[in-house]
Amino acid sequence: MRLHLLNITQRHLINLRMLVRIMGWLLIIEAFFMIFPAITSLIFDESDWIVFAFTALGTALTGIFLAVKSRPNSPHMGKRDGYLLTAMVWVVFSLFGLIPFLFCTNSMSYSDAFFEAMSGFTTTGASVIAVASDFSHGIHMWRAMMQWIGGMGIILFTLAVIPMLNHAGGMQMFNAEVTGITHDKIRPRISQTAKSLWIIYITLTITLIGLLWLGPMSLFDSICHAFGSISTGGYSSSVNGIAEWHDSLYTKIVLIVFMFLGGVNFSLIYKSSQGNLSALKKNDVFRAYILLISVMLVIFAITILAQGQYSGWQSITVDPLFQIISTITSTGFTVVNFENWGPFVLALTFVLMFTGSCAGSTSGGAKIDRMLYLVKNVRNELYRCLYPNSILSVQINGRVVNPDLVSKVIAFLCIYMLLIVFGGLALTAFGVPLVDAFFSAFSCLSNTGLSAGITGYGNSYDILPDAAKWILSFLMLVGRLEIFTVLVILSPAFWRR
Amino acid sequence: MRIVIAGAGEVGSHLAKLLSNEEQDITLIDANAERLAVLDANYNLMTVVGEPTSFSALKEAGASQADLFIAVTPYESNNIVACSIAKKLGAGITVARIDTYEFMNPDYTGYVKSMGVDRVIYPEYLAAQEIITALKHTWVRNWFELHDGQIILAGVKLRPGAPLVGMKLKDFSFTNRHFHVSAIKRNHETIIPRGDDHMDQGDIMYFTTTRDHIDELLMLTGKNAGKVKKVLISGGSKIAIRLVNLGHDEFKFKIIEPDLERCHKLPAKCPDCEIIHGDASDIDLLAEIGISEMDAFVALTDSSESNIFTCLTAKELGVKKTVADVENIQFISQAENLNIGTVINKKLLASSTIFQLLLDSDQSTAKCLALADAEVAELEARKGSRITREPVKDLKLPHDVTLAGLIRNNSGMLITGNTHIQPGDHVLVFCLEGSLHKVERLFN
Repeated sequence: MRLHLLNITQRHLINLRMLVRIMGWLLIIEAFFMIFPAITSLIFDESDWIVFAFTALGTALTGIFLAVKSRPNSPHMGKRDGYLLTAMVWVVFSLFGLIPFLFCTNSMSYSDAFFEAMSGFTTTGASVIAVASDFSHGIHMWRAMMQWIGGMGIILFTLAVIPMLNHAGGMQMFNAEVTGITHDKIRPRISQTAKSLWIIYITLTITLIGLLWLGPMSLFDSICHAFGSISTGGYSSSVNGIAEWHDSLYTKIVLIVFMFLGGVNFSLIYKSSQGNLSALKKNDVFRAYILLISVMLVIFAITILAQGQYSGWQSITVDPLFQIISTITSTGFTVVNFENWGPFVLALTFVLMFTGSCAGSTSGGAKIDRMLYLVKNVRNELYRCLYPNSILSVQINGRVVNPDLVSKVIAFLCIYMLLIVFGGLALTAFGVPLVDAFFSAFSCLSNTGLSAGITGYGNSYDILPDAAKWILSFLMLVGRLEIFTVLVILSPAFWRR
Repeated sequence: MRIVIAGAGEVGSHLAKLLSNEEQDITLIDANAERLAVLDANYNLMTVVGEPTSFSALKEAGASQADLFIAVTPYESNNIVACSIAKKLGAGITVARIDTYEFMNPDYTGYVKSMGVDRVIYPEYLAAQEIITALKHTWVRNWFELHDGQIILAGVKLRPGAPLVGMKLKDFSFTNRHFHVSAIKRNHETIIPRGDDHMDQGDIMYFTTTRDHIDELLMLTGKNAGKVKKVLISGGSKIAIRLVNLGHDEFKFKIIEPDLERCHKLPAKCPDCEIIHGDASDIDLLAEIGISEMDAFVALTDSSESNIFTCLTAKELGVKKTVADVENIQFISQAENLNIGTVINKKLLASSTIFQLLLDSDQSTAKCLALADAEVAELEARKGSRITREPVKDLKLPHDVTLAGLIRNNSGMLITGNTHIQPGDHVLVFCLEGSLHKVERLFN
C-alpha cells in the first residue's frame, strides 16, 4: 500500500492545495449554471443579462485560476478535508452567487444578497424580497436555480460530473453533505450513486415543469416553481407567491405530489423506479412519513371546521394537505387563508417544521428517521422500567440499529434544539421581537423559510437588522449540512493534530 | 468491472480496498455489520450486511449482474456454496478460496466447475510455490520468469560495494544492453525509474533480462548463487505442509513446531520430513538441530513478528537464505529492509490471482506476481489493441507503468523505445498500484 508509511509522516492536517483545486472546479460548475439566468434575461430583453454574463465569466475565470494554479502534492483527502470542503463550498457558492443581486436593477445590500443566496442554496426559501415584480426574470431564474442545485447538493452534483473525485476523498465529502444518520449507497462507486440520484432528480424536475406548464402557469413560472418545489426550497417568482394559483386545483395537486416526492429518500425513489416496490412497503421511515401526514390532515381539517373556516370541500382537504406537505418537506409555500386557521394549526406546523421528512431527500428539518429512532428508543426505555432485564433493540426497516447511532441521534436533537434557543437569543439581542426571533431561528435552521409574516411581524425577512441576517444565514448552513459538518469545523480538535 | 466480494476478512477487505482504488465497482458482503461500517465509510465501495451464502443477500449485492464473484470467507465450503449460488443467479466468473488441495486436483476440476466454481484460489499453495522459487534462486528477492526463463524479472537488493552502486541508469543501460531496469524499491516505495535516476545501496532493483545474461547480473550486483538442499521450517502451518509436499524431492526439510498435538499430526501429512517439537526462538534447540548447516530457514508461524525475528536470528547464525511469512502488509517493507531474503504474504498472492483474472480473464496460463505496492503481469497483446499500434516510445505510456520484455515466437527479448509490439506477443508489464485500469486500456 503505497499511500501508507510515507504519506502518514508527510501528511498535512489539511490538504489545502487539493481543496483549492476542487473549489476551482466547483466554481466553474457554478459559472455554468449562471448561464441560464443570463439567457432568461436575454429572452425577456432585460439589462440584467450583462450582470449574469460578467458574473459567470468572473466566476469561471476565478475557478480556472484556482484549479490550474493550485498544484497539490498528493490527491489524498481525509475526513477533515471532506468536512472543510463541504462546508466551505456552500459559503463560497453563496459568495459568488450573491454577485448578481448586488448589481442587478433594484440592487440589494451585501447582507441582503448573502442572506438571499444562502437561503437559496440551502433551500430555505426565506427571502428578503418583499415585492417580486421589482426584480427581473433573470434574478428569479437565478434564485430558482440556486435552490435546485442546493436541493440535491452541490457536492453530490460534483461527484457525478468530476471523475477526479471518484475515490475515497469523494466518499468523505459525500458523507459530510448527504443528510441522514447513515448514508446508503445505491451503486458501488460514489460517482455512480451521485449520477443515479441526479438522474432521478432531473427526471422529476422535467416532469414537474411539463405538468405545471399544462396548467395555468406560464413556462417561466413553471420552471421557477418546479425548481422551488422539487428542491423543497420555496422561492416564488410571483408577487403573491404561490397564492397566485390558488384557484387552480390542478396546480395545487401537482405541487402537492412533487413536494411530497421531494421529501422522500431519493435512494428509495431510485429503488422503486428499478421496480423494487417492496422496498417502499418495507421502509419504516416512508410509512411514518405518510402516517404523520395523514394524522396531521385529520387534525387540520377538524381544526379548520372548528374555527368556522369551511368554504367548500377544498378548504378541508387540498388546502390543509398542501400546507402540511409544504411545511413537512420544508418548502415553505403558504396557502391563502392560513393565518385564519388559528394558533393550534400554527403550533402544529412547528411540529412539522421540526420533524421534517425522510433523510436522503431534499427537505430540511431534523428528519423523520431521527424521530423514529427516538420514539422507538423511548418505547424501549419505558419497557425497560417494567422489565429491567430485557434486552431490547431499535429496529428500522427490519434491521437492528447499532446502539451508538441512537446516542448520536439524541446528541443531534439536543444540539438542534440548543441552536434554536441560542439563535433566537442572539436575534433578540439585535432587537428582534421575542416570538419572531425564535420563530425565524427555527424556520431557518429547519430550512423551511416560512415567512416571518405569519407571526405578524412583516412580509419578508428584509425588515430584520443586518446582523440578524448573518446569524440566520449561519443557521441555514448548519441546518442544511445537518449540524455536525459545520460544528465539527468550529471545534478545537478539528484544527489540532 | 462489477465485482462482488463475499467475506470481509483479511483477504476480502484487502481485495476490496485494492480493487476499489483500481476503479472497479466493488460490493462487499459480510455478516458482520461493524466490520463493514468502517470500510463503507472510508472506501469507495458498497457494502451489504448478510450471510455470503444467503440468496437474498447475494441478490441485494447484485451478484446476478456481477462480472466477477469472489468468495473469500474463512470456510471453503461456504465459499463453494456462495459461488454456486452466485453462478445460478447469473454471475460471470466465480472464484472461491479453498484450503484443501483436492479441489485443485485436475481429476476433480470438472466436478468443482459443475458446482459453479470457475476458479479456485488456494493462497497456501501459491505461497508454497513462491517459497520453492525463492529457495531455487537464493540471491534474489523476487523471481518471475516467463516461458521457461526466456524472460526473467529478478528483484535484487544492492549491497554496499556492489559494482552498480552509485551508477546512473542511463550510463548503466548504455553499456549493458541486455538488462532493463523495470523498477526500484527504495524506502518503502516502488518507483519506475528514468534515465537520470541512480542506483543506491539498499535499493531493491528489478531487472528484466534473458536467461543467458543471468550470470552477468550476478556479477554486476555482487552476488553468489548458492544451492539450497537443507531447509528448516519454523511452524507446521498449512503453508508448511504444502511446501513439504511440493518440494520434498528437491529439498530436505525439517519442521519445528511448538504445539505437541500439531506435531503428532504432521508426519501423516508431510512425507520424508523430520518433525521437531520445540520453539524456533530457542537458540539451544536451534544449535542442537544444527542450524549452521542449514542452507535456508523458512518461518511460517501464525505470528508475523516472530517470523521476522526468528529469520533475523537464523541469518546471524549463518543461514544464507531466509524466508518469512509476513501477513501484516505494513511490515513487509520493514522486513525487506531488515534483510529478510524473501517475504511471503497470502493476501498479496490471492490478489495477484484476482488481478490476473481482471486483466485477462480467458488466459488461464498467464502469470502474475504481486509485490507490496506493484504488480507484475504477463499479458498477451491482442489484435487491434492500442499497445500494438505504435512503437513503445510513441505510446505515451503512463508514468507508473513500464513494459519490460516480451516473448515472440517462443524467444524472449527486452523492450526498448523502438520496439513495436505485435499482436500475439506476450508482454511482461510492471505496474504500480492504482494503474491497473490504465494497463487494461492499453491491452484491450
